[in-house]
Amino acid sequence: MVAVSLDDVAVGTTVRVRDVAGGDAVAIRLLEMGVTPGVEIRLVGKAPFGDPLELELRGYRLSIRRQEAARVAIGDR
Amino acid sequence: MTPGPLTVALLGNPNVGKSTLFTALAGIPTRVGNYPGVTVEEKVGRFTHRGRAIDLVDLPGTYSLAPQSPDERVAVDVLHGRMPGVPRPDCILVVADATNLPRNMFLATQALEVGVPVVVALALADVADRKGIRIDVTELSRRLGCPVVRVAPPTGEGVAAIRDSVVEAAVGPPPQPLRLAAQEFGTAARPAAAAEAIARYAAIERLLEGVVGGSDTTPLMEDRIDAILTHRFWGTLIFAGVMLAMFASIFWLAPPLMDLISAGMDRLSAFVAGVLPEGAIRSLIVDGILAGVSGTVVFVPQIALLFLFVAILEGCGYLARAAYLMDRLLVGVGLSGKSFIPLLSSFACAIPGIMAARTIENRRDRLLTILVAPLMSCSARLPVYLLLCGAFVPDRAAGLPWLPLKAAVLAGLYALGVVVAAVVAWVLSRTVFHGPPQPFVMELPGWRWPRPAVVLERAREAAWSFLQNAGTLIVALSIVLWALMTYPRNEQAVDTDIAALRQSIDERIKAADDNDPDRAELVTQLEALDTADGLAAARQGAAQRYSVLGRAGRLVEPLVKPLGWDWRIGCAALASFPAREVVLGTLGVIYNLGDVDPGEAEGATALERRLKAARWDGTNRPVFTLPVALSIMVFFALCAQCASTLVVIGRETGSWVWPVVTFAYMTALAWLGAFAIYRIGLALGW
Repeated sequence: MVAVSLDDVAVGTTVRVRDVAGGDAVAIRLLEMGVTPGVEIRLVGKAPFGDPLELELRGYRLSIRRQEAARVAIGDR
Repeated sequence: MTPGPLTVALLGNPNVGKSTLFTALAGIPTRVGNYPGVTVEEKVGRFTHRGRAIDLVDLPGTYSLAPQSPDERVAVDVLHGRMPGVPRPDCILVVADATNLPRNMFLATQALEVGVPVVVALALADVADRKGIRIDVTELSRRLGCPVVRVAPPTGEGVAAIRDSVVEAAVGPPPQPLRLAAQEFGTAARPAAAAEAIARYAAIERLLEGVVGGSDTTPLMEDRIDAILTHRFWGTLIFAGVMLAMFASIFWLAPPLMDLISAGMDRLSAFVAGVLPEGAIRSLIVDGILAGVSGTVVFVPQIALLFLFVAILEGCGYLARAAYLMDRLLVGVGLSGKSFIPLLSSFACAIPGIMAARTIENRRDRLLTILVAPLMSCSARLPVYLLLCGAFVPDRAAGLPWLPLKAAVLAGLYALGVVVAAVVAWVLSRTVFHGPPQPFVMELPGWRWPRPAVVLERAREAAWSFLQNAGTLIVALSIVLWALMTYPRNEQAVDTDIAALRQSIDERIKAADDNDPDRAELVTQLEALDTADGLAAARQGAAQRYSVLGRAGRLVEPLVKPLGWDWRIGCAALASFPAREVVLGTLGVIYNLGDVDPGEAEGATALERRLKAARWDGTNRPVFTLPVALSIMVFFALCAQCASTLVVIGRETGSWVWPVVTFAYMTALAWLGAFAIYRIGLALGW
C-alpha cells in the first residue's frame, strides 16, 4: 500500500508534502513550522511507544504526534 | 535635555540563544515580573551605549506573529506598542538561528513588516561555521533591508556590533516595511494565516537563494548521537539514567545543604531566644518570623539544583528529547511529554516541580501539570509514612506471609499519588480544560554544549524569584499561623487541663492490670509531669489546645470522626497546614511531649510510644489502630497541607483561583480516600 499521509511512512524514508488538511490552529502551526506543500520531509524515528514522530525538514528536527502527522498528505518524491 | 531610554524588543524562536544574547547585552535583568492581566513573564534589562540608556525587553519565544497562544499575543502587542506600561519599541532585535535560517526567517520577515527598525542577530554563528553552513551576511542584509550581525556570545563575537546597530537603527529614520509576498487572502478551505504561511516560505526560499551555502544537512556525528539518545531501547535506558541522576541530586544532594541552612537558622533562633526576654515578642520573632524565613530559605537548594539540571538539559537540547520520549505515556491522561520532569521533581518537593513547569509552553498543559504535581508524594510525607507504618502496620499480613507489609503499604502510598494524579488529569482534561486539540509541534534543537553563564543565570533567577515572590508571602503566612497557634493564652485553663490530665492518667494506671503493655508508658507520662521539662511540655500542649487553631481542631471533630480520628489528630492535621512534616511535631506537642524531633530515633520512639498509649477521651479505646493509621497516611498522601506549595501555585499561575482549587480538590480527595480506607479497614477487621 502506498502511504498517503505522514503518519504511515516508514522510518528513514523521505517524502514530499502534498498538502496540510484543515485551517485550524494545528494546521497553521504546522505550516508556520515549514511543513508546507512541496517541502521534503524525512522521518528520522519514532519515540518508544511509536508516538510522537521525529522529522527532519528545512535543515532542522521537528517532533509531532501521529495525530498531527495524519493531517499531512504526502505525494511521492 | 537628555533623551529618554530607548526601548529595544528582543524577539526570536524558542531555543535560539535569545537568553544568551540577553545576558551578553544587558547582564542580570533589572525587572522581572508578569505583563498586566496575563501570566506571561516580562523580563527587562538595561544597558548604556553611546550615552543612551537602552531598555531591552525580552519577549516570550515565538514562532510566528500570527498570534495563537497568549505568549505570542504578548509579543505582538509589545511590538505594536499596545502593551500598557511598555513603550512602543524603537527597534526590534530579532535573534535568528544561523544553523536553521529558512525556518527562522519566517519570524524575522514578519518582524520586518511591523514598521519598526529591525536588526537581525545571527545567533549560533560559530556552530553554523563548524557545520559548514556559509551565510553571505552582506547580501542577506541587502535583501532584507536591515542590519544583519553574526553573534556568538561565548566568544564575544558581534556583541559590540549589535549594540552599535541597535542604537543606530533606533535613532535612525523609520524604515520602509518589507513587502515580501503579496497580501494573501484566505479562502473557505484555507484561512489567511495558512495561505500567508505557504506564501511566506515560498518567498523565503527565493530570498535565501544564493545567500546560504554549504552543507545544510546535519553532520553525521550529531545524527549518531541523536539516533542513540532517541533509540527505543538505548534512548529509554539513558533517559532513565539521566532522570535518576536529576532526581538523586534533589533528593540526596540537596538535603545536606538544607540541613546546613536549618542548622544555621536554628543557631540564629537560639541566639535571638537567648538575647530577648521570654514573652510574646520573643515567641513572635523565633516561632513566627524566623521559623517562616527558615521554612522559605530551606527550599532554595532544591530549586537551584533542579533549575541547574533543567538548564543544562535545555542547553544541550535534551529537554525536548526527554519530552519526546515520554510524551506517549502522558498524553493518555491529558498531559504532555513536557510534564514529565516537573512531575518527577515533585517526588522530591512540589515547589521546584511546580516551578519547573515553566518549561511547558502550552498553557493548558502547564496548568494541568501544576494542579496535579502536589499529588506526587514529596519527601515531606516520607517521615509521616515511616513513623505510622513503623508503629502500626504489622510486618506480615495474615494469609500473605511472603509480603513485607510495611514496604508494600509505603509503595502503595506512592502509587496512590500517581494514580490519583493520572485520574485527576484525565478528568480535568476532558471537562474543565476541554477544548480544541492542542498542537504538539515541538522543535528538537540541535545538540550543543550548554553555556555555563546561562545555566548559572537560570538557577540564580529561579531561586531569587522564589525568595522574592513566594518567600515574603510564606513568611507572612507563617506569622499568621503562629498567632493562631499561640493565642488566646489562658494560663488558668492550662492549669485546669494539667490537673485533669494527671487525674486521667492516674485513673488509667489504677484501672490497668500489671500485664497491660501501656502501663509502663502511663507511669512514665505521670512521672514526666513532675519534672520541669515534662511539665513545660504538657503546658505547651495544653496552651496549644486552647489556641484558635486548637479550638478549631475541636470544632472540626465531627468532620474528622468519620475518618476514625479524635480531635487531637484533627488538630494536628489543621496545624500541619504550614508544611506536612510538622504534623509529627504537632502530634508531639498535642500529646504533651513538647518539641520532639521525629527525625531522630529518640524522638520517633518516644512519639511512637505516646501514640500507642493514646486513648479516646473518657474510654479505654486506643485512638491509633491500623485503620486509623492508614486513614491518616492516605489523608496526608492526597491533601494539600503545604502552605508554601499553595503560595507557589498562586505565584506561578498568577491567580489565587488555582491554589484555592488545588486546596479544595485535594482536601476533598484526601477526606474521601481516608474515609474509604478507614471503612474498608474496619469492615475487614484489620
